[in-house]
Amino acid sequence: MTDLGAEQMIEGVPSFGSPNIPTTAPEGGEVQLLASGWRLALREFLSNRLAVVGLVTLVFFVAFCFLGPLFYHTDQSFTNPLNSDLAPTAGHLLGTDDNGFDEFGRIMIGGQTALEIGFFSAFIATVIGTIYGAVSGLAGGLVDAVLMRFVDILLSIPFLFIVLVLATKYSATIFSESLILGLFSWLVPARLVRGEVLTLRVRDFVVAARIMGGTQSRLVFRHLIPNALSVVIVNITFQIADSILAIAYLGFLGFGLAYPAASWGDMLGNAQTAVSSGYWWLVYPVGGCLVLVVMACNLIGDALRDAFDVRLRRR
Amino acid sequence: MTGYIIRRCIAAVIIAVGVAAVSFLLLHFVGASPAVSALKSRSSPANIAAWNKVHGYDRPLIVQFGSFLWGLLHLNFGYSWFQGQSVGALFAENAGRTAYLSIASLVIALVIALPMGIAQAVKRNSPGDYAATTFTFTLYAMPSFFLGLILIQIFALDLHVFPALVSDNITTTWQAIIHPLQLTLPIVTLAGITVAGFSRYMRSSALDALAQDYIRLARAKGLPQRAVLAHHLLRNACLPMITLIGLSIPGLLAGNLLTETLFNYPGLGLLFFNALQSEDYPVLLSYTVLGGVLTVVGNLLADIAVTVADPRVRLD
Repeated sequence: MTDLGAEQMIEGVPSFGSPNIPTTAPEGGEVQLLASGWRLALREFLSNRLAVVGLVTLVFFVAFCFLGPLFYHTDQSFTNPLNSDLAPTAGHLLGTDDNGFDEFGRIMIGGQTALEIGFFSAFIATVIGTIYGAVSGLAGGLVDAVLMRFVDILLSIPFLFIVLVLATKYSATIFSESLILGLFSWLVPARLVRGEVLTLRVRDFVVAARIMGGTQSRLVFRHLIPNALSVVIVNITFQIADSILAIAYLGFLGFGLAYPAASWGDMLGNAQTAVSSGYWWLVYPVGGCLVLVVMACNLIGDALRDAFDVRLRRR
Repeated sequence: MTGYIIRRCIAAVIIAVGVAAVSFLLLHFVGASPAVSALKSRSSPANIAAWNKVHGYDRPLIVQFGSFLWGLLHLNFGYSWFQGQSVGALFAENAGRTAYLSIASLVIALVIALPMGIAQAVKRNSPGDYAATTFTFTLYAMPSFFLGLILIQIFALDLHVFPALVSDNITTTWQAIIHPLQLTLPIVTLAGITVAGFSRYMRSSALDALAQDYIRLARAKGLPQRAVLAHHLLRNACLPMITLIGLSIPGLLAGNLLTETLFNYPGLGLLFFNALQSEDYPVLLSYTVLGGVLTVVGNLLADIAVTVADPRVRLD
């Protein structure tokens, strides 16, 4: 059974391919052509103007950070200390930072690392959370209770505290910082997926798969997780936003990547001194980019949640 | 009801012990012994081994955890070798100032967020609603220190109304209270971030309540709008907020940490930040556990408060 097939059984609606095929009103009244759940969700998402704004913003920043350096060449490895803290000029569009690096080019590089850490930590959190939640929900009983109490315990430990403690030693590289953030962010997706699996596991198609002799892992990976994917996808976008905020906190407090690597968070590490020295170009452009990307992710997440919510959908 | 509260309390105690265990293990993994911060420049391997033996850091992990837990039960949070003071004394010294900052900003956040959420719900999809939503959405996406920096730029550096840093003369909670100018920016920063989270919930909660029959009835019997909102809507729309306040404790603790660091305001958050820099593990461990326990207690109180405030909540 494919993902699409499972979706059809839930919706009870067969797929007629592209939703754009024109229909003629048959006898007995107007009938709207129905597409599969994923297509409906996509259509709903794209009809939400805020969602499109968010998506365009995110795509713009990804392009700006990863393609920008191809057009705006700056030297981000060798620096002249005499050029530090220069105000914006034609040569340096946003001036230079404390070490003499071109700030505009550095925003691109810092954005690359921030986005990479954001996506990577969200990926780690999602993979762990999805499998954990699905196993817990499917197992049920005592195993479920123990696994979920463990989630309760980890959720009660203030996220920023424990991440900061680990970051004092292990946050030097993109990989390790993503790992720290991801390893403490899988709790919410685990809860969401478990909740979803609890309602899915008594559905006919899961019972049928079990009766046909499907193994537990086949049930989890082939039937439960694909059907719980909508909550997972919604959560990924919020997770990216939260991770980018967490990077900002770690960087501001001075526990981010090791110099000369830098994310947007690390670039805000000296923000307080920069503000009081009047070096506005070292603070507001980076902070603005960060806020816009987090906002874009939140907008996309909100819209996806509405798009996947069958009850809110116009049909 | 009593049975429910007892069951919830037992679950909370188990989770609190779990929080202590997980925090203890993680910090043991990051930094097993505070010997280096105690011995400072004299920390040779032999000295560290001797120090660990004297102070019990060479015992099996489970024994160390047992004595840590036993100490917690007696409110003995350990000893900060770096600062040369017991962690409990450090907490007691800073707790008042942090509590003042947190409670003041929480109250201000509620005073702003409740009416704003209701106003947005009543006038939904109006230009005012869009403006307020845009504003809170921006705040929601903003790191708290960045909001603080913007406020410092405007009100301290440009307008010279409030100080950019809290004065070193503010040493007691009472002084913080009688010098409101000093603490305005920290409180507004923390309140602003909290409002961003609260008002979105308040708006949707008020929207739900507005669609209920009791509001229609109150309007049908001719009550003025003001009375409908103040007596019928507010109380019902506030119910989900009780849970939200209980859940806001980790956010407040994190907000405290960043705000106190930004404004150099001596509280528990700044204590934690300084402990991070000096790798003062007893302080880090105890404050992490304390934060976890506060979170558990907050959730527990919120759950109980909701069952008291809303008789419709069914107890399982």
